[in-house]
Amino acid sequence: VSAALGHLRPVRVVGVGLHPYQRPSDTPYTTLGVHAVRAALADAGLAWTDVETAYTGTATTAMGMSRLMYRHLGATGIPMAQVENASASGSTAFRQACIDVAAGLADVAIAVGVDKPLQFSSPQRAAGVRDLVGSRVVPFTHFALLAQRYMYDHGATAEQLAMVAVKNSRNGALNPSAQRRKARTLAEVLAPPQVSGVLTRLQCCPISEGAAAVLVASDDAIERLGLDGDRAVRVLSSVARSETVYDGENFDAALTRETAAQALGEAGVTAADLDIVELHDAFTVEELLYIEAMGISPAGRAAADLEAGQFDIGGRVAVSASGGLLAMGHPIGPTGVGQVCEITTQLRGEAGQRQHPGARTGLAHMVGVGAVCIVHVLRKG
Amino acid sequence: MRVPAHPGLYEVAAEVPSLIGTRCSACGRVYFPPLPVGCEVCGAGEDRLDTAALEARGVIYSLARVYVHRGAPEAPFTIAEIQLDGGPLIRGTLSADAGELEIGHRVAAVWAVTGTDASGDDIVEPAFVKAVHQ
Repeated sequence: VSAALGHLRPVRVVGVGLHPYQRPSDTPYTTLGVHAVRAALADAGLAWTDVETAYTGTATTAMGMSRLMYRHLGATGIPMAQVENASASGSTAFRQACIDVAAGLADVAIAVGVDKPLQFSSPQRAAGVRDLVGSRVVPFTHFALLAQRYMYDHGATAEQLAMVAVKNSRNGALNPSAQRRKARTLAEVLAPPQVSGVLTRLQCCPISEGAAAVLVASDDAIERLGLDGDRAVRVLSSVARSETVYDGENFDAALTRETAAQALGEAGVTAADLDIVELHDAFTVEELLYIEAMGISPAGRAAADLEAGQFDIGGRVAVSASGGLLAMGHPIGPTGVGQVCEITTQLRGEAGQRQHPGARTGLAHMVGVGAVCIVHVLRKG
Repeated sequence: MRVPAHPGLYEVAAEVPSLIGTRCSACGRVYFPPLPVGCEVCGAGEDRLDTAALEARGVIYSLARVYVHRGAPEAPFTIAEIQLDGGPLIRGTLSADAGELEIGHRVAAVWAVTGTDASGDDIVEPAFVKAVHQ
């Protein structure tokens, strides 16, 4: 009989750390990653020698990159592996760390997301899949097509889509780890360059590098190592799914709907209980689609709800309080781990200027091309 | 003579482009682009995956004018998602002179010449225009 993560040993996030997301630079990934790991260790009050296993979420840097980074913390001989799952690489690494602690394979595990945009491979090409459009359709056009259909189905406007980027830029301006730190007006977001369909440059996430690290621990470890249990955040559920065949429904939305429903169900909460949501807003339209797919707004209502301020910090549920992929950035491997950093910080009440009042329950969501979807639900205490 | 820009995806002999898809003889699912190896719906093996000609006509499900693109063709151009009459939802390029097309409009493919090969033959691909016959 299989069991959900929540029915195994409790898993708690005990430490989070980031290297700010930034434009690609000459900084080696080892520097980015070690910076985030040291920050997470300091946050938790742990030493590297306490960490029993390491998962590295990465998709675009290099094969076998983990040890070359972790050695700078003192080589302890622990198991380590790269976890590649496209944009969901970091989320999947976090899930693996949680599974190790939940199953009792480790008492303290670390998930580190680190990437530099050095190499982008094409699974379609490797699979020998060829279609009529080939490289004419890159992600921004995939989502421009979604945007056009969303506007057609629900009567949403280009301005309403752009409001997602306005909100997330406002949040990103308050986040010292964000790549885009300037609050933008609607006019600025709508200004050229037009990229594809209704999407302008500021409605597409930037190309980024950076790192994020999250330490998870069992209750045994929290007690034995004398960690601050009051700052620990429980991982209520961890769900990963992959695309099936959805006729007549957009696959990104359908996959998110299934995965989020299962994750909320396993956590014993509903969408109405969520205070903080970090989702895959690589392109503005995605935030609206996924808000609806998660059941936070009824179909076709997310744009109006967003315009009414319901997803602002201090609103009904803060969505992309970190700035999201649009403003904080999307360095691929780090992104999903960074979402857990933001949610943990919010649930602890330590988010400073971007603190969402009364944040108790959070949800982290990433999709990755293929397609896969990973959702985690976290709760304070 | 016409030479396909994408060998294996369409027949160039006919005046009207038709697409080369796959039909699973186990579950009836129709695919474009053609699907090798095994059926995504039922898992039937390659021996159950048959070549199926598909009319290159259907209804626009969505479309996007692409303004930023490296390489050929030069941007801007318009990509459409088209629900083919024969089943699959495909992506294609609208003809440069397709005019104003919107979601819900019926489209059909015509040959677009994208270049000339060493023997002087036209390299062609299907490009979609407003369907003449509803």
